[in-house]
Formats: sequence, structure tokens, C-alpha cells
Amino acid sequence: MPSRRHFLAGLAAATLSPIRGWASVGAPDFLAAGLFPDGSHRLAGLDEQGETLFSVPLPARGHAAAAHPFKAQAVAFARRPGTFAVVVDCATGAQIAQLTAPDGRHFYGHGTFSADGATFFATENDYEAGTGVISVWDAQNFARTGEFSSGGVGPHDMRLMPDEQTLVIANGGIETHPETGRTKLNLPVMDPKLTYLSLSGTVQDRVSLPRDLHKNSIRHLAVRQDGLVGFAMQWQGSTSEHPPLLGLHHRGEDPRLLSAPDEDQSTLQGYAGSVAFSANGGVIAITCPRGNALHQFDVASGSFTKAFVLEDVCGLGAGTDGLVFTTGTGLFGALTDASPAIRTRAKCQWDNHLIPVRRPA
Amino acid sequence: MRYLPLIAALIMPVASLAQDRAPILMDVAETHILPRFAKLPETTGALVSAALVDCTPTSPALRAAYDDAFDSWISASHLRFGPTEVDDRAFAMAFWPDTKGFTSKALSQHIAIEDDAVQSPEAYSETSIAGRGFFALERMLFDPVIAEQGKAEYRCALVQAITADIDASAQAMAEDWQSYAPSLTRPGEGSRYRTQDEAMQELFKALTTGLEFTADTRLGRPLGTFDRPRPNRAEARRSGRSLRHVELSLIALRDLAARLSFDHPEIAADLDAAFARAIENAQSIDDPALAGVAEPQARFRIEALQQSVQDIRAIASTELGPTLGISAGFNSLDGD
Repeated sequence: MPSRRHFLAGLAAATLSPIRGWASVGAPDFLAAGLFPDGSHRLAGLDEQGETLFSVPLPARGHAAAAHPFKAQAVAFARRPGTFAVVVDCATGAQIAQLTAPDGRHFYGHGTFSADGATFFATENDYEAGTGVISVWDAQNFARTGEFSSGGVGPHDMRLMPDEQTLVIANGGIETHPETGRTKLNLPVMDPKLTYLSLSGTVQDRVSLPRDLHKNSIRHLAVRQDGLVGFAMQWQGSTSEHPPLLGLHHRGEDPRLLSAPDEDQSTLQGYAGSVAFSANGGVIAITCPRGNALHQFDVASGSFTKAFVLEDVCGLGAGTDGLVFTTGTGLFGALTDASPAIRTRAKCQWDNHLIPVRRPA
Repeated sequence: MRYLPLIAALIMPVASLAQDRAPILMDVAETHILPRFAKLPETTGALVSAALVDCTPTSPALRAAYDDAFDSWISASHLRFGPTEVDDRAFAMAFWPDTKGFTSKALSQHIAIEDDAVQSPEAYSETSIAGRGFFALERMLFDPVIAEQGKAEYRCALVQAITADIDASAQAMAEDWQSYAPSLTRPGEGSRYRTQDEAMQELFKALTTGLEFTADTRLGRPLGTFDRPRPNRAEARRSGRSLRHVELSLIALRDLAARLSFDHPEIAADLDAAFARAIENAQSIDDPALAGVAEPQARFRIEALQQSVQDIRAIASTELGPTLGISAGFNSLDGD
């Protein structure tokens, strides 16, 4: 449980040292990992115009990263099934610390800081037992201080809820073991869940999909300021079925599943890569790199509003006036006036996710 | 801010040049797929008969029928789409890997309560999927622990129920593949596949997924790591079929690869040579259950076999894939 003392210390650090923190590296809006033309993997800070404000080297291909709430620090995870994550100082590029998964564990590529920045949480696979774990780290020295069950198998993305006391976890349901690569070991019995845990691991809430969708792996999350959770899924069942790949959940209610008409839905190959709400929370979208598409929905009605054709699109985030995206071909674009406007074209391949730096107000 | 033309965002992966794929699709359906699903119910039917005649686990006739039927399933199981996936049929035929020991639990449970679901195939098909199929039957025939549980009469009825259920799935797949095959050979209106390229991509995916399963799972699971080999994780090791499954899958996939690469003789030759090396590697190993993963000398040969399957995968994805318009996006391939 983050203490009041920690919280005040964090507040002091944020307010008394205005030239430190994210402002010192150009006040990026997003972090993104990418493969650069010299063959190096780097973590970059981007503003919402798509300009790269800084980039720092990573030891291997990244997946997602987590931004410290006020220090210019990021935890960058190796791609699954990586056993390390690096904590980088985004001002100097220096590696401050390394998180190493204990024997018998690997990271899934996502994590989050507590609101006061004192604690870091990461999703892990206990692969001999085939169960999910959330590890807890002291964000001062990045020592591992504890762990608890993720409440399911294959925890992937994890977010801090707006109450700052609850973690929401996408337990994708798929069991894998590093000795068999990414082979999925339990498809016939998989049971994905959206799980809400207290910061000490007590289960607050658990949400399953209808039985006929038990092969729809819940992978990535977005959280709106009022606690509405958007979740993106990856279908592991028959390719002839085209189930919804986006869901919305408010605690205490049943999940709502959102889909485009079959004509569009059938082109997605059952795969959504990222999900994000727009800044005003009225729009939600998923990116679908296998279908080269971005699907946008109206949150209030749940209705599908538009499909954009974008090659290898995956990263997705909220810009001031509309959603922004990145692609594996190096584009950064914004969805304004119902069409994609390309803002920058970097000589790199942007990786799966755009991580917001500014915490939503 | 640079404002690039909209069109930039709309450029799609380079589509394969329009080619007539009809002859290849027809050939794969008629010569590769349908014969495998025609043979499957013949052998599962013989398995049902053998279990009715003599359900004793050690019965040579029953074990021979088990081997034949399992052979024909392994030779078809890479075709894991369409009718094979309906109602989880592929998993109902073969629940493996079984990381949490669900199969023995399901069987022990049936035996302990003398579950009367064994009375009818319909009822049995509603029970735990882990207690169905060839791996459940293998336990019944080869696992000494199961052989000591409950009464012989009940275990006999259970063997017969499992074989009848396997046969029902095999018949259903054979029937459905007859009507599904035209979907592959005549894409477009009314077909699952909008274009010939989509149908080709489905078949290519069957090839690469089949190779991946053999390399990473059939061989990767028992190999484990050098410091911690896992001989007990070999597929169907109780009936000594682990290596045979590797060989049978390679033979089946070689046939599919040859047909898919028919229009590209050089790629076809590369693939065929790589398959020949891998199959030769498999045949030179005398270790049916892959128990040698725990001994350095024998392990080395099993690792070499695994590498030779990875070599085929590399040729398939770098040479054959692009000819079929398979996009190789940075993110679309990531799968996370």
C-alpha cells in the first residue's frame, strides 16, 4: 500500500523540481519502442505531433514500456518471453537499473507504476505452474519486494485504475512455456479473464466472457477517467468465425462487446493489437495490424463508426483532438476529420504500443 | 509539421501478382486433403471394431488398430482449419500437450464414479475434452496406474466409449471436408475464402503451423533445456510413438509443401531437399520415445533434427511465403 509519506515525497519531487522530470526531456506525450535503421532497438519519446524528442538504446527488441508518473524514467520490457526489463533515464539514456525475472518466470512485456511512483508492478508467467503472477518492485532501487497471483493464466497488459488503488489485469488465458516458444498449450480449456486486484493482490472483481468466446484472449487495456475499461482481444478459435475483438467493462456491470459488421470484421484475422480511448473519452478504437486496419467506435452507443486502412498499424493513443497511431512502417498519424493525417515518417519500425506519459487529467 | 499525402497511409502490402491458383487449390484438395480424411474414418472404424472384439489393454490387435488410427490422424492433423476445428474436433482427437495432467484426472474421475456417459457416444462427447481422443486411449492401454483403477468391466466400457467417440469425430470431419473442399477450390461468392490468395494463405498457414508444432512442441517439449531435459514430456511416449509423430508429420507436410510450391520449381527443390534432410535425420534416430534427450550424445541428434525442421520453416517463410502474398509486417508478425 503506498503510504502518505511516499505520496507527499512524490508530490514534492514533482512540484519543487520543475526542470527535472519529463519536462527535462521535452515533455513527451508518448513512449514507443522501435527498430532503427542502424539495427538498434530504442525507446523513443514522442510528442503528439509525432516528433521524436529523444531516443535511448534498448538491449533487445522492446514490447511495451511504463512511464514513471513524474520522473523522466521508463521501464522498458523485452519482448515476450523476456526475462528482463531495463529502467532507463530518458534524459541521459543511462540504464538506471535492470529488473530480472527470477528462475522459472518471465515477463509478459507490460507493467505499471503506482500513482505516487514508489512502486512498480509487472505481469509475469510462472511457467512450471502455468499460472500468472504480478511482481512488486520498489521503484527507488528496483528491488523485488513481493508478488501475488494475477488471478488467471497469461496476464498481459495491466493498468492502474483512476482510483489509484486498483489494478486491472488482462489475463489472456493462454498458457505458454519458454521451452516451446510461443506454442499455446491450453487452447481447448483456456479461460481469459479481466481481473481487478487491490495493490496488495486481493481480488476485487473478476469478469469472464460468455462460454462460446472462451478462446478470445483478453490482451490489452485502456482505462477512461471514470473507470470504464476498454479491452482488446485476440481470437484463438476457428478462422471462419469473426467474433468481437473489443470490449467495454464498468465494474458491477456485464461487459459490452463491440464489433464492426462482418464485412469489415472478417478482414481483421481475429487480431487486435492495441486499444485506446480518445482524450474526451467519447471514442474508442482498436488497431489490427494483421488486417491492416484501425476500427473506431462510439463509446456511448457502442456502434462502429469507421474503419481506416493502415498498413501494419499497431501503436494507439489519445492526442488532444483525436486518436494518434504508429505503424510498423514508421508512420505517426492522427485521426482527425475522419481521415488519417500522417504527421511524421520516421526511418524506423514502431513497435506494438504507444505508452501515454502524461497521466490523464 | 510535414504533412504527407494521405495516400501514403493507404499503401497496402504488395499483393502477389494475379496468378491462377485454381490448379494448385484443386490438387491440394483432391490429392492431399480429401484422401487423408477418407482414410481416417476407415482406421478409426477398425479401431472401434477391435475394441469391441477385445478391449484388454494388452491386446495386440487393439494396439495395432490404435497405431493405425493414430497414424492416420497425425498425417491429417496439420489441416487444422475448417471442419477440423468445428466443435473443437482436433482437440477432441488429441488433447496434447496436457500441461496440467487433465487427461489422467478426467479418466480417473470417470472410473471412480463409474460415469455412465460411456453408455452412448453422444453422452461421452459431452464429457471433459481431456478424457477424449487418442491420448486418453493411450492412457487406458499403456498407463499401469490407470490399469489398477476401478473394475476391469468399467475400464473396458471406457475404452470402447473413447474409440467410438474418436470414430464419430473422424466420420464427422470426413463428411464435412467433402462439402468444405469446394470452398477452397472455388473461392468467391458463397465461399469462406474471398480470393484464391486467401485460400492459398490458409494452406500455407497449415504448413508453417505444422512445422512450428513439430519443431517447438513435439521436439521442444521433451528437449527442454540442456540442464533440464524433459523426457516425460514427449508426445505419446507411453506407446513409444514420439519420434514416429515427428516423421509422419514431416512426410505429410512435405507433400503439402511440394503441391503449394508447384509453380516455383526452385523453391520446391529447396523445400524438398530440406524435408529430405529432416526426414533422414528422424529415421536415423533409434529412440521411439525420445528418451535420449537426457543423454548428451543422443540429445545432440535430437537437437540436430529440431534444427533441420527449423531450416524448413525458414525456407517456407522467406521463399514460399512471399510468392503467396503473405505480408511480413513488423507488428502483424509479432503476435503479442
